[in-house]
Amino acid sequence: MTSMEEKVVESIKTRFPEDIIEAKVQRKNRVSISVRSDKIYDVGLFLRDELGFNHITSVSGVDYIDTKEFEVIYNVWAIDGKVLVSLRTKIPRDNPTLKSLIKVWEGAFYHERETWEMFGIKFEGHPNLSLLLLPEDWDGPPPLRKDFLLPDTPQEKLEEKIKRAGGQ
Amino acid sequence: MSIMKLSMGPQHPITGHFRFILDVDGDLVLKLEPDIGYTHRGIEKLAEKRTYLQNLPLIERVNSYCDSVGTMLGYLEAIEELMGLEVPERAKYLRVIAAELNRIASHLYAACLFSVATGLETMLMWPINDRELILDLLEKLTGQRITYTYPTIGGVRFDMSEGFKEEALKRLDYLEKRTEDYYKMLLWNHTFQIRAKNVGILKPSDAIRLGIVGPNLRASGVKADVRKDEPYEVYDRFDFSIPTGKNGDSYDRLEVRFKEVEQSINILRQAIKDIPKGPIKKWAPPIVPKGEVYTRVEAARGEFGYYIVADGTMKPYRLKMSPPSFRNLIALPYLCRNVPLADVPVIYISLDLIPMDVDR
Amino acid sequence: MIPILSFSEIIELILKVLIFPGLAFPLLFAMIVIWFERKFLARIMLRIGPLHVGPLNRTGLFQPIADFLKLIQKEIIVPDNAYKILYNAAPIIASIVASMSVAFIPYAPKPDGGYWMIYYTPWSLLVILAIFTARPFIMVGAGWASNSKYCTLGAIRAALQLLAYEVPIALSLVSIVIMSRTFDLAKIVEAQSSIWFIILQPIGFIVILIAMMAELSRRPFDIPLAEQEVVFGWPTEYTGTQFALVMVSEYFDLCAVTSLITVLFLGGWSGPAIPILNDVSPILSGVFWFLLKMAILTVIIIMGRGIYPRLRIDQLLDAGWTLLIPLAIIQIIITLFTAQWWIPLLGGV
Repeated sequence: MTSMEEKVVESIKTRFPEDIIEAKVQRKNRVSISVRSDKIYDVGLFLRDELGFNHITSVSGVDYIDTKEFEVIYNVWAIDGKVLVSLRTKIPRDNPTLKSLIKVWEGAFYHERETWEMFGIKFEGHPNLSLLLLPEDWDGPPPLRKDFLLPDTPQEKLEEKIKRAGGQ
Repeated sequence: MSIMKLSMGPQHPITGHFRFILDVDGDLVLKLEPDIGYTHRGIEKLAEKRTYLQNLPLIERVNSYCDSVGTMLGYLEAIEELMGLEVPERAKYLRVIAAELNRIASHLYAACLFSVATGLETMLMWPINDRELILDLLEKLTGQRITYTYPTIGGVRFDMSEGFKEEALKRLDYLEKRTEDYYKMLLWNHTFQIRAKNVGILKPSDAIRLGIVGPNLRASGVKADVRKDEPYEVYDRFDFSIPTGKNGDSYDRLEVRFKEVEQSINILRQAIKDIPKGPIKKWAPPIVPKGEVYTRVEAARGEFGYYIVADGTMKPYRLKMSPPSFRNLIALPYLCRNVPLADVPVIYISLDLIPMDVDR
Repeated sequence: MIPILSFSEIIELILKVLIFPGLAFPLLFAMIVIWFERKFLARIMLRIGPLHVGPLNRTGLFQPIADFLKLIQKEIIVPDNAYKILYNAAPIIASIVASMSVAFIPYAPKPDGGYWMIYYTPWSLLVILAIFTARPFIMVGAGWASNSKYCTLGAIRAALQLLAYEVPIALSLVSIVIMSRTFDLAKIVEAQSSIWFIILQPIGFIVILIAMMAELSRRPFDIPLAEQEVVFGWPTEYTGTQFALVMVSEYFDLCAVTSLITVLFLGGWSGPAIPILNDVSPILSGVFWFLLKMAILTVIIIMGRGIYPRLRIDQLLDAGWTLLIPLAIIQIIITLFTAQWWIPLLGGV
């Protein structure tokens, strides 16, 4: 008997053989699926309708500045199956657009809006991409990008000083 | 009558650090748009600058005055999973005890706010009074009343003191008796019932679709609790049930919280009885190995998710929090369509949104 | 023609106008009730309440005075958009109107005939009813003149609530008038010398008590002032002295309403004579019973705030139109059919 996690990986691989970059079981209750960015909507719809992943838990972006890519991760929980799938996709850093998944999981509304304001990732089809957490007069770059630098903490200043002095 | 734009908050008796932009027609609210971010502290960004251990007090501030341990447990679970660290048994029990005490305090606080929203100030003072007993108990356990940073990487910081068990059991007995008074004063109060029943009905299918979590989801009749679905710490060893509601209205959301307090008392009694002897902390290296992890815990307001990307240094590469109040926020504009103005505070408070938790 | 008063009559008039039941009495009543309300609710809520101000230790007896002194030192802020004349006049008119009705209420009989009241008129019940009807206009006027959204919402609520609850009040007064066959409050009291109307007309009493609580915006009917919804309703923008006037006028109203219900249903001053007070003056004995009944009513009205949540405006209006008005009409019908047996038992008429 195969477990739920393996079943999810199996079926997603047979349904989308071309578009899945990687699909694996991370551990018990965790499945990670990496897809091409243009197919994320179809995969999301398949996950929701066929496999019962109905409960969106979070949408997060990660800024991989070294490879000049953003990764967007939709974490979705299946209430009946008791599995969490991480649906992830990479998009180029200079043109960060992605099809919005709020038609699939309506609960992603505020999550996507937050990801937009924190990373500058445009979600096509999102009805209201406006500032949510940041102040109304914010005109700086998206703050969670890695090239948005915070002022140094005292500890970091100390480390810098030691480094400059040639110490450890 | 024409439509009037009404700005409710951030300086308003009920909204806290929120602002709602209401479209009001007479006494009817047509549309509600939440304007959040008044307590945004950028914790996710700040966490990238600090080491894993330094992040503990920072993360506690996400929701410090109600549910400190519930907030921190997910973060610790994530780090310990990345490190492959097995926490000592006694520490797990102590974490559960602190988390459940927090849950009781948080739910009592929710009941206070709810009765304020309907204008019953007596039930503001009574649970606040009894919440004090829980806070005293936590002070005895952790040394602080509100922000104690009690659990730490690899265990907890302090062992329980002499006489804690007896004191805790005594206070839990009192609280169990006291809950009856709450039922009489609030839940069985006819005037309260006609204010709270059939207000803000959230159907189970909608609740799942919108991604609602915690007591709000369970009040809609969906049996989903991380403590049962994915038992963390030692929750699989306790015998407790998940209370669910029937109609998914504001009244059910409050009733589920009261029933959860009873279940928490139940868990606490078992934990205090079963707690084994042994060490309370294991040494943990400051560097977390490379990897990424998503953990979920059941905080008082619902499922708290942490997504951590570690790059093999002392600091997290990316720390994403998915706090319960932020996920419940979407229910507010959904439920506040074509409702009387007087129902807006009731619906808002029944969802138990805490501005600090929403904004991070 | 101005009547020529003797010296003792002038003294009596000054006593009436300035001390009791005139100016000093509603103010003292307001002060004591504010203090009592805070202390009493604090006890219900397991708090302590006002503590330090005042002569007796740990009572905070003078806390209302301290609050009042604080308020009159504050700056009076008038919003830019406000309609200034009405905005500034409304609190003054409100407190004047609220304290006006005590002039027509008989507090005790005088031994030489006549009653201890400021102005005697055989139509006093109608006059008081007319004064009560003026209140919603002040609230709507003040709310509109403030030109603020919360004030407007509160004023609309106040108008809906107060106008709806005028009707059951008027209807339950009808059965009183049928029974006593007069509009004169003093005669109504005398009619109750043998049996109080609360016993003959319990439904009418309940209707008028509930309706008056709604008129006064006391919880569970404090919808026009609902803090959690419309901040403070129609007086939201008032500060300083104006706010103090609005607050005090609420308690003046409470004073008038409890006096009126005492007169109508609880037999006014009637009660066994108290020997010590009777020796000084028989008036004092009557006043004592009157104040005692007023105090009991006040406690009942205040208690609502400790134990009830607030109703919603639609529920309140439903209750008014579909419950209280039918009850009042039932009371009128009962009174019509039973009056022939009861009227011979009543005194005075």
